[in-house]
Amino acid sequence: MFRSIFVLVASFASCSAFTANGFHGNFARNKSPSTALSMAHTLVLVRHGESTWNQENRFTGWVDCPLNEKGIQEATSGGKILREEGFTFDKAYTSTLKRAIKTLWLILEELDLMYIPIVNLWKLNERHYGALQGLNKQETVDKHGKDQVLVWRRSYDIPPPPVDESSEYFPGNDPMYKNVPKSELPKAESLKLTEERFMSDWENVILPEIKSGKKILIAAHGNTLRALVKHLDDISSDDITELNIPTGVPLVYELDEVTLKPIPHPDAIAPLKGRYLGDQEDIRRRIGAVLAQTK
Amino acid sequence: MFALSRASVRSVSRSALRSFAAVQTADKHTLILVRHGESTWNLENKFTGWYDCPLSDKGHEEVKEAGRLIKAEGLSADIAFTSLLQRAIRTLWHVLEQTGLMWIPVHKAWELNERHYGALQGLDKQETVNKYGKDQVLVWRRSYDIPPPTVDKSSPHHPSNDPRYAGFDFPEEFTESLATTLDRVVPFWNKTVVPEIKSGKTVMIAAHGNSLRALVKHLDGIDEATIAELNIPTGTPLIYELDDNLKPIPQVGAIAPLQGRYLGDQDAIRARIEGVKNQTK
Repeated sequence: MFRSIFVLVASFASCSAFTANGFHGNFARNKSPSTALSMAHTLVLVRHGESTWNQENRFTGWVDCPLNEKGIQEATSGGKILREEGFTFDKAYTSTLKRAIKTLWLILEELDLMYIPIVNLWKLNERHYGALQGLNKQETVDKHGKDQVLVWRRSYDIPPPPVDESSEYFPGNDPMYKNVPKSELPKAESLKLTEERFMSDWENVILPEIKSGKKILIAAHGNTLRALVKHLDDISSDDITELNIPTGVPLVYELDEVTLKPIPHPDAIAPLKGRYLGDQEDIRRRIGAVLAQTK
Repeated sequence: MFALSRASVRSVSRSALRSFAAVQTADKHTLILVRHGESTWNLENKFTGWYDCPLSDKGHEEVKEAGRLIKAEGLSADIAFTSLLQRAIRTLWHVLEQTGLMWIPVHKAWELNERHYGALQGLDKQETVNKYGKDQVLVWRRSYDIPPPTVDKSSPHHPSNDPRYAGFDFPEEFTESLATTLDRVVPFWNKTVVPEIKSGKTVMIAAHGNSLRALVKHLDGIDEATIAELNIPTGTPLIYELDDNLKPIPQVGAIAPLQGRYLGDQDAIRARIEGVKNQTK
């Protein structure tokens, strides 16, 4: 009898071991439901592709420039990959900036899902680049010095110089934001400030929809997606400023139904737990990851 | 100093213009309607209804032009409505792109869909005439309230077999006439669109021949016989100004029985309205 108890205990122990290593079985702790992938919430993120101002090497931020031809190609490719892998969505979120909206439209067209509801959230907008918006990056380096510009671009919490309230780049002067209290609109943002304003919409708007079982697609910008994955994957402030999210590449998260934490995917490239869809070699090259690195 | 005085001059004339504009637009609500452009099934001469075919190349170009016309007219919109069918959604997206309004909220609703063509959906128009006779087909197409034969749930054309209509209840046997189309368009207009207009928003609607017929019949008080024959040209912006009671203010250049006016080459538009009468749709 003791032997059978021992065997029983041993098998429970090994069940826990499997669970701890990320194996998802139905024999895990009794209290929580199965964490098999089919019980997870699917969330897909896509960063918009190249814009005309990327090409011109200008700080963009909230300036509403369109995708260029390459950016359109990138979005269409992203949509094709999602279609090939059989993804479907119930609802989509994007910013108020056309380069992200167009990316979303192109993807939905590829997926034959143009009829799903789309919600435009200004809090998904790219980080506001303050008084640097519109300036050529090289000219700015020439003017302020490479180190200062690097701080403005890659610091976690130091924003660029702010725009003036009378500036055309102050969102309070843009009819697009006429329903937003001016005090809420940025004059310049760091990644930290971007994260803070985005996370309220994540918690109050997007997460409830995910919890209700809807499959969500988010088409957004480099810094708002950084803010989101920092939160999802518990990435440090130091690491997040260096993280590069390649444009037009779908990034798939499976969130545990109960904890809403990402279930780490075997193909994930650290520090992310979600996986990119597409040519993995090409993706790794683009994010500058070293093949040998795993976490 | 120079900058300051220029600014003051600008602001004086701006405020003068604003008060002039306020007087002009007081109690007026602008409504922009666009019927989607040519679809691939139009080209193939098939009964379409709720089948979700895309725009043809010509259709894309038609509605880009519609967007350009709306922009040239200096019109803007705060909110847009469209159907669940991609030919209307794509039409709207082209217009929003041309007018710099890609960011406005868009509400998609089955109630703005084209009229469902029942068992005729997917059939070639000429073949249908050969099968049922010209008169019967004309009744199904142009009668106000006689619908085509129904489809049941075994048909791929029944909405219960399309995930986009999950959550909505449609009758086991389904088909629509212009009358029944109106029965779902007008309540949607009253419940969902009117409150937006009353709250001061300029509304844009991209929809279909029959859902727009239903709407203008309601707005302009058009009788059943006239509406069944009325043609709304594709990709041609149709502009209404509604008063505070949401009654149309007759527009200069309106082509009876509509009180709204079309944007674009008026002669070409009149020709299209007349010409389509003789075509199969």
